[in-house]
Amino acid sequence: MEYVEEKKVVDDIKSVFKEVDCIIKRERRVEVKLPKEKLLEFALRMQTNWDFPHLSAISCVDWIDDGEFELVYHFWSYNRKVLVSASIRIPREENAHFETLSHLWQPAKFFERDIHEMFGITFDGNDDMSKFILEEWDGPPPMRKDFVTREYALSFYHFREYHPEWMKDLEGAGEK
Amino acid sequence: MEKQVTARNVWERIFTKLNKRSLWMLHYCTGCGAIELPPTMTARFDMERFGIMPMVTPRQADILLITGYLSLKTLKRVILTYEQMQAPKWVVGFGSCTINGGMYWNSYITIKSLDQYLPVDLYIAGCMPRPEAIIEAFNTLIKRIDEGKADAWKDYYRNYDFYKENQRKVLGEFETYVDIKADAKRFGIV
Amino acid sequence: MAEVKERRVYDLFIGPNHPGIEGNYSMQLTLEGDKIVKAKTQGGFLHRGFEKLMEERLFIQNIAIVCRICVPDPDPNEENYARAVEEIAGIEVPIRAKYIRTLVLELSRIASHLFTFGGHAGTIGLYTMPNWSIADRDRILDLFEELTGARVYHIYIMPGGVRRDFPAGFKKHVMEVMDYIESRIPYYDDLLFDNAILYKRAKGIGKMSLEDAIKWGVTGPNLRACGLAADVRKDDPYEAYPYLDFEIPTRTEGDALARLLVRRAELIQSISIVRQVIENIPEGPVWNKIPNPLKWKVPAGSAYVRCESSKGEYAYYMVSDGGRKPYRVHVRGASVTHGVHVLENLLVGSRIEDASQIMFSLDACPPEIDR
Repeated sequence: MEYVEEKKVVDDIKSVFKEVDCIIKRERRVEVKLPKEKLLEFALRMQTNWDFPHLSAISCVDWIDDGEFELVYHFWSYNRKVLVSASIRIPREENAHFETLSHLWQPAKFFERDIHEMFGITFDGNDDMSKFILEEWDGPPPMRKDFVTREYALSFYHFREYHPEWMKDLEGAGEK
Repeated sequence: MEKQVTARNVWERIFTKLNKRSLWMLHYCTGCGAIELPPTMTARFDMERFGIMPMVTPRQADILLITGYLSLKTLKRVILTYEQMQAPKWVVGFGSCTINGGMYWNSYITIKSLDQYLPVDLYIAGCMPRPEAIIEAFNTLIKRIDEGKADAWKDYYRNYDFYKENQRKVLGEFETYVDIKADAKRFGIV
Repeated sequence: MAEVKERRVYDLFIGPNHPGIEGNYSMQLTLEGDKIVKAKTQGGFLHRGFEKLMEERLFIQNIAIVCRICVPDPDPNEENYARAVEEIAGIEVPIRAKYIRTLVLELSRIASHLFTFGGHAGTIGLYTMPNWSIADRDRILDLFEELTGARVYHIYIMPGGVRRDFPAGFKKHVMEVMDYIESRIPYYDDLLFDNAILYKRAKGIGKMSLEDAIKWGVTGPNLRACGLAADVRKDDPYEAYPYLDFEIPTRTEGDALARLLVRRAELIQSISIVRQVIENIPEGPVWNKIPNPLKWKVPAGSAYVRCESSKGEYAYYMVSDGGRKPYRVHVRGASVTHGVHVLENLLVGSRIEDASQIMFSLDACPPEIDR
């Protein structure tokens, strides 16, 4: 299959950032792995030079075994019709932090606020890190992998008591 | 000993007969079950022929419909709304999430059993209940009001400490603006 | 002596218990007389922790809860989840299943747009429109019940294809319902779309220019009402859309009236797509067998899939680490930009009587924001 526009995007990226890992995943999808110092320059060039005006989402993945958080930025171009997913890794600590993109893209302000309350990562330069969803919540950031929601729900909330006859032998067997 | 027919009894019976045919439901979509309420209110299933209409303010509403799950943030607003409604009032739990947590039984932020926090008159099973089930539930409620059995609202005054303790356990301290103990004395309960 | 001009400002909370809000959401406005000077939106009333719940269930158990993320338009969720799993695991979908998925998505889009017409008309005081359009939407829910067994949450699209094939007589019913809805459009025109009061109240409200819309991350019918013909069905095609013939309606004004008229034009296009699917659907199986679901391990990888829901661009980012449960599922709802800062930007400078209409015309659906 001819990946004409995707190859042009890869060439654009490689012409400035010579040593990054940049592959064409399938049609209309390009993936880039960047060191975290280069992200701000990359995002600026995406917006001004390479015609990617739309920041679709910022995702965060908690790699607890590696001790790192992975932040993935997804950019889409209306004219070139290619989606570029740029991922970086930051160390996983109690108050992890990274720099903000909210002065370049306005949607990033809310995406970073959401990641802050769910994962506990602070974005320096974003002046609105207040809670949006979890206002009645004073526990740890819930999306981190060391927070197990099932144990929390079973211990904190009161469930209805229901022990009919037909369930007695199932209750004894437990979970497989 | 036979029951005395006093003027108050007759007035209460007339009041019940008129009240059950004009129940106003609070228009508050608390959860995902609220998507089956517009079909029930509009032209195909038409709930208004039973006298049930949506009302926007809790001060003039009779029924509080908890449509589905309750996240903790909504639970606080629901309790404030419930205490602002005037007696007699009825709470209908809609869907299986009010009964035992439903699909979100292992979620960290939804409550699992509604009658720990508010007294409930009627539950409707389903996920989500069809409009025909909602209308049948309202008819059951009307019949219960007629027989005089639907007075779970008095339970809130009788067991206020139990409900208040449960609310405090999940939400922390917060202030409601209604003096429940004074209201209870006025109704002659407790 | 310096003259101090007193500004009379007050705070108004249009809170979660309000008929002028779509769903369960809250706007905190600061008003000076009738004009809005500051606006802050507050959500989180519908949070259930979906992304965490999906990490604790097997891949096959997730299809039962994933449709509940967006309440009026649940099928894009199932579609995105199934396509993400298929992309990571390398599963092929038979061609008949692609056509059936397109049919389900377009029927859901028609139902959602009929719901939005009713909601928008309710904010300007025309309550006959929801009585008609929501009752007509019920015919489509009857079709869903015949095909999948449930009216609202279908649990029908799953990795590998769809759950079951058409029942007998289904194609005839679909064509009958499409004829019925098309015959109702002149009535809607008479009542709402040619109504002089709608033109007076909705023209110029919530106006966005094209540069502002792209800068704020607006997608879907809201962006098409500003002039750009961008649609995920044409730009990033999926399912059976490459084989079908349809247009992308646009307008240039960018105000509430333009958004409503774009949705009306999209409804007509969707009816034509449904007719094409029913006439041209090929024969074949509807499901490619996946391994034993209780022991199925999806290989490690990640995928970002997008689809065009009735509210905008809906996307899922799924990461799998080779186990039986997904490692991370990130849901990007379509209203996550519309309901939060686009609404705040548009409310500042408008008047209090238009606040409700702005939210309904953007079609910002709170369950997608809160997940």
